[in-house]
Amino acid sequence: MSERHPANDRRLEPTGAASPTWWIVFSRELHDLWIGGKALYLILIYAVLLGIYSYLFASNSELNLLPLKQMVLEIVKAAIAVGLFICLIIGADSFSGERERATLEGLLLTPTSRRQIALGKFLAAVSPWPVAVAIAVPYWIVLSKGDAALVPALLWGPVLGSLLAPAFAGVGMLVSVWCNSNKTSMLVSLVVYLLLIFPAEFSGLATVPLGSQMAARSDVLQWVNPIAASGRFLHDTLMGNSTLHQLWLWVTTPVLFPVVVLGVLFAFAGPKLRLEAGTGRLGRTAT
Amino acid sequence: MQHAKADVQPMTQGADAPAPGSRTAVLVAEGLQKSYGPRQALRGLSFTLGAGRLLGFLGPNGAGKTTSIRILTTIMEPDAGQFTVDGISHKYPEEIRRRIGVLPETFGLPKQMTGIEYLTYFGQLYGRSARQAKQLGLELLDEVGLKQRGRSLVSTYSHGMRQRVGIARALINDPMVVFLDEPTLGLDPRGQQELLGLVKQIAQERSAGVILCSHLLTEVESVCDDVVILNSGEIVATGSVRDVIGRTERNVIRIRVPVPSLAESQRALGTIPAVRKVAAANGSTGWLRVELSEVLSDDHQISNAILETLIRARIPILSFEPEGGRLQDVFLNLTAQAIK
Repeated sequence: MSERHPANDRRLEPTGAASPTWWIVFSRELHDLWIGGKALYLILIYAVLLGIYSYLFASNSELNLLPLKQMVLEIVKAAIAVGLFICLIIGADSFSGERERATLEGLLLTPTSRRQIALGKFLAAVSPWPVAVAIAVPYWIVLSKGDAALVPALLWGPVLGSLLAPAFAGVGMLVSVWCNSNKTSMLVSLVVYLLLIFPAEFSGLATVPLGSQMAARSDVLQWVNPIAASGRFLHDTLMGNSTLHQLWLWVTTPVLFPVVVLGVLFAFAGPKLRLEAGTGRLGRTAT
Repeated sequence: MQHAKADVQPMTQGADAPAPGSRTAVLVAEGLQKSYGPRQALRGLSFTLGAGRLLGFLGPNGAGKTTSIRILTTIMEPDAGQFTVDGISHKYPEEIRRRIGVLPETFGLPKQMTGIEYLTYFGQLYGRSARQAKQLGLELLDEVGLKQRGRSLVSTYSHGMRQRVGIARALINDPMVVFLDEPTLGLDPRGQQELLGLVKQIAQERSAGVILCSHLLTEVESVCDDVVILNSGEIVATGSVRDVIGRTERNVIRIRVPVPSLAESQRALGTIPAVRKVAAANGSTGWLRVELSEVLSDDHQISNAILETLIRARIPILSFEPEGGRLQDVFLNLTAQAIK
């Protein structure tokens, strides 16, 4: 029984110049996202939102209601926030969506490792981010009217977004690994997003000077939240002309957040991807 | 690969040894168990599948068929027991997946892909280059009768065509074992016939072991060589289809005659010594249920005596069949016994 069947050996050997499987999955996902239209629709909405935002800020600026630097800061933050949302939503659809469409089983039945499947899908989920940046940059340039805030905006906006976009795509995918229903996956991801984005937005409204203890607590809360920490870093760079050396603490969270999320995704959740949600034995039923 | 092979322990041969006519066992399962909490879904599944053999995998709803298939296709891990595909232990799921092809009961197809794109994608996932995968995809589409529709979007395919493209995908790695879960579900009679012909062809021409899960017992009886009947997670019958059918005691014959001849038929049949009781079959007009005092044997003496009696009495015989002589009867009998 343990002898090989020589006649059947031809079945087993990979032939030709085969591509790495993560690349095959990535190419397929990319095709589905961009040709299928989902990413295109999201990017279209993103462009429209950015246009409306820019128009409103430009109007305020014309009326001298908003300083130019502040306007640039807000439009950079908005571009990042919406870009992250797109990556999160696409990540959240990655596995639970396939489960719902009954296409995941076919993929899991191939000899492709779960980690490679996760990697291919992850890269596709991050793919809207560069497009989002490409759309946003002209807005930043036009709205800044040559202000000095443009240079740090052009540098740090894409850098921070490029750190956070993979993390948010990863968060969406992690939720997706544990959800059988796509609706649940989307809702949970949305809640996570709102939990991070609201405190980040509200922290900017604290114009009343806080006591030193309160200020310290507020700083800790901002530091823990990757979006708030990024916002604070951008604020101080664009508005206060502070240097990276002075503000390095605010970059640690945007750097650590993707490391942790992607570590969990690729070291733990991805390899244990199952046909039915969850990574353990619980909750799996079949007859 | 060699390492994976070395880990495989020989399994017990005997009642589950490869069926006659098969060259070698391509799938050996031994003592597979699976529980969901306190409920035991599978209680020691053991069977062997030979190369080129078609095995019907039967059982009522909840019998453990899907659990078995998911374990054997490495989607799920067993709690206990082991299985091998081509001698590769289940501890090496990626190696097993290289050697199996699966058509799940429900499977989705990506809407934006054409049939050939779909097969090319899966061919690549099995290690082929894009060109080779495409070539293979075209050959498979031809084999399953979809050559003309290969460049159409799969979203435009009929149910039967989707099943066919699913089978083509299951064959993309030229597997040694093919699992087909309800492949004819929802197909019209012609579609069912054509698909079953294709399934038979896969076993014969590719020398692959095929496991066919189905609720349609007539189709299993007509195409399968072997059968495994599961009930409540246990095997209640296994062997060749003929053997399993032959194992049941048959002492009832159902005969259909024209309604005006019913009374005369009853009288005539009552004169045969081997006949214990003759009565009209419940709920079936024109049918007689003939109970015998002894079990039907292979020499057909009693059957011939009954037929002779009716012919002499000039009673037209519209239908004649021993009860329990079909897989459906065996299945109902065995699963009912197990429930009791």
